[in-house]
Amino acid sequence: MKPRPRTVAFRSVAFQGWGALWAAPILGGILSALLALLLGLSFAPILAAQAIPYSRPVETAPQQDTIGGGYKTPAVQKPLPRDALFQVLDVLILAAAMGISVWLVLQRRSRKWAVALTVGSLAYFGFYREGCVCPIGSIQNVAVALTDRTYAIPMVVTAVFFLPLVVALFFGRAFCGGVCPLGAIQELVVLKPVQVPPRLDRALGLLKYVYLALAIGLAIKPALGRDFLICRFDPFVGFFRRTGAPHMLLLGGGFLLLGMFVGRPYCRYLCPYGPLLAWCTRLARRGVTITPDKELDCGLCADACPYGAIDHMRAVRKDCLYCARCYASCPCDGDLAHAKAELVTLS
Amino acid sequence: MSQPVSRRDLLHNVVRGSVLATLGGGALFLVQKAHGQVVWQVDAARCINSRLGDTGAEACKLCTTECVVALSAVRAVNEYAKCGRCNICPAYFNITSAVDEKGLPSEKLCPRDAIARKPIGKADPEDPANNFYEYVIDEEKCDGCGKCVMKCKEPLGLGSIVLRVRYDKCVGCNRCTISRACPKDALVQIPVEQALRPPELRPRTE
Repeated sequence: MKPRPRTVAFRSVAFQGWGALWAAPILGGILSALLALLLGLSFAPILAAQAIPYSRPVETAPQQDTIGGGYKTPAVQKPLPRDALFQVLDVLILAAAMGISVWLVLQRRSRKWAVALTVGSLAYFGFYREGCVCPIGSIQNVAVALTDRTYAIPMVVTAVFFLPLVVALFFGRAFCGGVCPLGAIQELVVLKPVQVPPRLDRALGLLKYVYLALAIGLAIKPALGRDFLICRFDPFVGFFRRTGAPHMLLLGGGFLLLGMFVGRPYCRYLCPYGPLLAWCTRLARRGVTITPDKELDCGLCADACPYGAIDHMRAVRKDCLYCARCYASCPCDGDLAHAKAELVTLS
Repeated sequence: MSQPVSRRDLLHNVVRGSVLATLGGGALFLVQKAHGQVVWQVDAARCINSRLGDTGAEACKLCTTECVVALSAVRAVNEYAKCGRCNICPAYFNITSAVDEKGLPSEKLCPRDAIARKPIGKADPEDPANNFYEYVIDEEKCDGCGKCVMKCKEPLGLGSIVLRVRYDKCVGCNRCTISRACPKDALVQIPVEQALRPPELRPRTE
């Protein structure tokens, strides 16, 4: 046992009962400071040699039996993280939401219900789960786990990353429409979308590849230099958590403001998960399909699409964000048709 | 289907199948090396507020200001078993404030009034100094500013109060924003089972 001069000096007072010291706090303070100074001077070399972590006089703390009177030491609060069961439930809800998204858009072709799903996802994945865990951010964790032998990710994160990709392989970007909370918040603010010129659209679309490469590049660096770019610069997570750095909230606000006139700018130009989904979607068996009628080449669907995903009267599945606006605007099959507006035959 | 599968469809199916197999393989690889949850925790031996040797300094408030959660997920926790249950607790009272008629400091230290003080048993009016008091931190009020942690250590305190991450508040960022700012790298990632064990059993990191 190394000598502990300060502790010893302190304890000699403490043994006469804690209260005695506190009865005259100022005097006690001065006294112990003086003692400490004196002892400190005489033991200076030893003190300096002592490492920082040395035990405290915890043994002097009065315990249940010394206090007596039936006193019970209260339990220290130790709140648990979200239960594993609930995390699995999140994954199941994610899968179910994507299933519903596919069914509502491809089968029911219902814009109304797709919006309802969007609101629901925004409430659950966005505001309730506060935007975490999300497939977009999980790109980084998956990249690190694949490259670093010492880094592993929970199965929930693995599932969250792969599920939307598997769905995209069969049905396209069902995750983007009505499930992704970042997409949902932008989807709901689309007010008066302008059609972005195709060239500009394509040029800006390259940004997301740069972002993806940058995010992976910074994530797979050695542990100390590692940076999780996507999470740090998530523009909407501040809204979901109802707090955040002012510049991030401002950025998010800017995206939403821009999103009123340019449909889902983050999804189309920055989202690093978008390219992965788009690649999988190229192989999709089914997706939003537009079959131009011989008599009715109206192009209302193309005008209705705020994401520039209808090219020459054909849905571009890799860009389609599953909002069902095209179906809703179709005079043959959609809200217009459901409104019983009859087609007039011009003679 | 009576229609024969076209060459194009066949090719599509083959490519889709191989992509699916690749994704599945990747997922399987990640799952077989997956372990349980990892959580962030404050290492009391590194934290400026709780570690020894940094007495008299201003408490470090980075845990309060840097956390992404509205009211920081880091809170002060009193390990009751270590608490000296002092009459004049340096973490409860501002011991430099004027003494009132009862002989106690007139001001409290906690800016959010999150610590409650109540006598254990019956306080002897003749000798209040020798009575024990229980100090309970209201974890919902606390914002983890660390003032009480800084005071509850040598020379006056026993170091029973430490800063700790509350897992019902922590959202588990990939890189904890407090760890990014912490000058002593006091925020460390540990397996969740270890975090829930009593701190005495936890191996020291330094």
